Amino acid sequence: MDFLLSEREELLRKAVREFAESEISAKIEAMEKTGEFPIELMEPMAKIGITGIIAPPEYGGVGLGFLARTIALEELSRVCAAISMGMQVHHMAIAALNDFGTDEQKQRYIPPLAKGETMGVVAVTEPSGGSDVVGMQAAAEAKGDKWILNGRKCFITNSHTSDFWVVIAKTSEGAKGLSAFIVEKDSPGAKTGRVEHKVGLRGSNTGELVFDNCEIPKGNILGQEGGGLAVALKTVSESGRPGMAATALGIVGACLEEAAKFASERILYGKPITSLQAISFYLADIYTELDICRLLCYRASWMKDQNMRCDTEMAMAKSYTCDAAVRCASKAVEIHGSYGILQEYKVQRLLRDAVVTVPAGGTGQIGKVVLARAALAPYKKR
Amino acid sequence: MKEQHIGVFVEQRGGVLHNVGLELLGKARELADISKGTVSAFLLGRNISALSDELIAMGADTVLLADSPLLEPYRLLSYTYVLAQTCKTYNPDILLFGATHMGIELAPRLAARLDTGLSAHCIDLHLDSQGRLLQVVPGWGGGVIATIRCTRHRPQMATVMPGVMKKFKPTKRTGKCIMLPVKENFHKSGPRVVKVHIEEPKEMPLEKADVVVAGGWGIKDSRGWRLLEDLATLLCGAVGATRPPVDEGWVSENRMIGQSGKTVKPRLYIGVGISGMSHHVVGMDESECIVAVNTDPTAAIFEVSDVAIIGDYRDILPPLLEEIRKRLPEGRIDTCELPQ
Amino acid sequence: MKRIIVCMKPVPDPKAWDRLKMDPVSKTLIREGIPSVVNPLDKHAVEAALEVKDLFGAEVILLSMAPLDTRPVLREVLAMGADRAILLSDKAFAGSDTLATARILAQGIRNIGEFDMIMCGNFTLDGSTAQVPSQVAELLDIPNVMHVCDMDISNKDRLLLTQKIEQGFVMLEAEPPLLLSFTKEANKPRYISFIEILAAEKRDIQIWDNAMLNVDETLIGLEGSPTQMADLLVQKKKRTGIQITGNPEDIARELADKIHQLGII
Repeated sequence: MDFLLSEREELLRKAVREFAESEISAKIEAMEKTGEFPIELMEPMAKIGITGIIAPPEYGGVGLGFLARTIALEELSRVCAAISMGMQVHHMAIAALNDFGTDEQKQRYIPPLAKGETMGVVAVTEPSGGSDVVGMQAAAEAKGDKWILNGRKCFITNSHTSDFWVVIAKTSEGAKGLSAFIVEKDSPGAKTGRVEHKVGLRGSNTGELVFDNCEIPKGNILGQEGGGLAVALKTVSESGRPGMAATALGIVGACLEEAAKFASERILYGKPITSLQAISFYLADIYTELDICRLLCYRASWMKDQNMRCDTEMAMAKSYTCDAAVRCASKAVEIHGSYGILQEYKVQRLLRDAVVTVPAGGTGQIGKVVLARAALAPYKKR
Repeated sequence: MKEQHIGVFVEQRGGVLHNVGLELLGKARELADISKGTVSAFLLGRNISALSDELIAMGADTVLLADSPLLEPYRLLSYTYVLAQTCKTYNPDILLFGATHMGIELAPRLAARLDTGLSAHCIDLHLDSQGRLLQVVPGWGGGVIATIRCTRHRPQMATVMPGVMKKFKPTKRTGKCIMLPVKENFHKSGPRVVKVHIEEPKEMPLEKADVVVAGGWGIKDSRGWRLLEDLATLLCGAVGATRPPVDEGWVSENRMIGQSGKTVKPRLYIGVGISGMSHHVVGMDESECIVAVNTDPTAAIFEVSDVAIIGDYRDILPPLLEEIRKRLPEGRIDTCELPQ
Repeated sequence: MKRIIVCMKPVPDPKAWDRLKMDPVSKTLIREGIPSVVNPLDKHAVEAALEVKDLFGAEVILLSMAPLDTRPVLREVLAMGADRAILLSDKAFAGSDTLATARILAQGIRNIGEFDMIMCGNFTLDGSTAQVPSQVAELLDIPNVMHVCDMDISNKDRLLLTQKIEQGFVMLEAEPPLLLSFTKEANKPRYISFIEILAAEKRDIQIWDNAMLNVDETLIGLEGSPTQMADLLVQKKKRTGIQITGNPEDIARELADKIHQLGII
């Protein structure tokens, strides 16, 4: 087993880190205030290749794999998890189109995403539930040369900054009753609804999509009719979960940096507080968690790059890393003492961001359902 | 000790002498006296012969003067040519330049043309027992001082930052002024000056301030930086910095104090969150009173400070600002004058 | 504009400077374990060169005199968009002062062949002498301009350069061949893109030693440097530091009194 990253991967990390430190840091204050995604970052991120990292070169992308993507998201998130969140969902849309689209659909919809001209959206969750995918209410009915879609999607990332959306809806009953569609923002009957004001990942745009007899051209069904569940599951488990995991991973790394730096400088009882074992043991915990999460995230991404089945490993990385981010951020806040709860200090944002990663892109409990199934698979009675 | 003939390039732009040339004349005078040698001022420009009296009063025995319309404004190739010819004729043992924008461009080119050695940003100059120049240069951050010499080549060249050397006290001295011939046919090629733009300084220049409040890596955020600015304003002082605040964008690079920045000698220097690495210390250690505030009791700055405060500036500066305000007479805050 | 050569230098990462140690015997720096980074100002020189490449299609060659283990740094700069790199590396180069270094770089440039411009950063973080650019230009007998804070190349036969001086700036016009050294105000270096990282993996990094360059050995290295290190001292000045202690309010009061005593307020 070779645990080392290649020179290429290290240079990729460096490239994103330098960009994130120089360009994203300056936007955070406004993002925290307004909750708005700094859309002006799309152009420089496209130039670097962040927006199109996993898109095939023939559609304007870079054609790199999921390990590269994880590293890029980790570095974005280390500076600002909200930006990583926006990008990871953006990649989900590219993955869904690439995995299930016709040549025509790929030619039409992947390039604007790869080149950062608009943001990607995958809309599954509804007021009736997100974990309960098959129970969704949004429904599409065939009528002549169109589909007519009715329903609402909520907690959708990039809802208001995107020109078209991948939307899952019911076309008949049961597990084989879901279908995926590409809905353009300007379609008659389609509109964006409320914008949510989250307590963390502020600057990642989260909102509602509303469909009121929305007309979708027949050619915009993505994949087979009735194959929508496969689109949702594959996209969420193979692109969404690792994207969330990478976002949470960046937060864990930032927790270590902030806490270690603060503790090395804060003098109490005449010495830096790192001399107190309670503090240094907390740092040891965060340091270990960072390594655990890195190994889980990188291993799962590596497996996908080898075309191995990896939905269990992805679920493990996601649920573990998001929980770890909350634990590590809590410890980091505690290490800061009273400064930890002041808005001027970065560490309180790390905690708020970590808390929001936990339910996003699949709850930890759904992740555990997947893991329990895998753990019990050898013992399944016929 | 062999007598040393020391040349000093005296920089001027538009007829205005740069202080560093006068400071270097002072040092050259000191070294020449030790070796019973001479000091020559190298002055290039147009309509500048009136300046030679001042240069003699400030320590020069000879002023080697090249006065020609072809030498105003400064152009690198023209100046290199005239200085090289002059060195070949007058053979100084030592040639000193201020480490100004002009000096940094000109001295190295001249050193290469004369095939000799040049050391940069010297903080001190001595002569050894044989009269050879010892050039003292601060090394890497960490209290290291290197002594450089140029044994086999002449002239021994060195650049010195403005503010480091002391001017000679002007006295009635005798000296001579030699007009150097300036031929028409030297470097006409090379870059041509299209425009020269000089701006008036708008804020308290660092080198002239009585009080300098400087911040470094220990300042956590722009809120902290504003505390320093407030302190400087209250004390009618100037704000200085080491590199990290410059990189953060809180202050411009011309406020950097140290080996590759400015040298300051205020009556009061207050260093906040500055560790005191030697490349900064060399830029301020001649301040009359040095006060240091740092959370790290082992910080090097405490070895060069008169007043040491081990603590967090976030706890100490706010009450300090209050205490100072209490002691100021009414209306004082608005009446800081910029020095001439 | 066909060819631009950028002289660049990998320097010890400033974030790791406090780990630098001095060998008291040989009086040299122990640089093992200290990672190298691109000298920050060199990135501005590379950016300037790439702007010429974008406009006129010039070839951009990186030239560096450095140890062999600095190849990753060159690869990183190739990923900004330069075409190829040449690393001048030989034991005989070690210990060179600025003039000896300039001789080596100048010979490297002569070996490359014709060029239109040479670009450098105004100074390096480690040596900080800012001497090498002028000296290389002198040895190549071409004009040079330092402290360039703006370069207007809309007319490739007559460049307009803005040179920063103490209290303002000077505008110069000049033609190639020319050597320019850039300040950080000159431009904003482009970020490395993923496509360029992949492309850079295929770009050439040639290693040239002195057998290839053929610089007279008496003119390089420790022996060939006109300036030599006579001594290295660990020097600490001592002032009688009086510590003010107490809670912040007490400290503030005592310090304010002291400032008052000095006659400042």
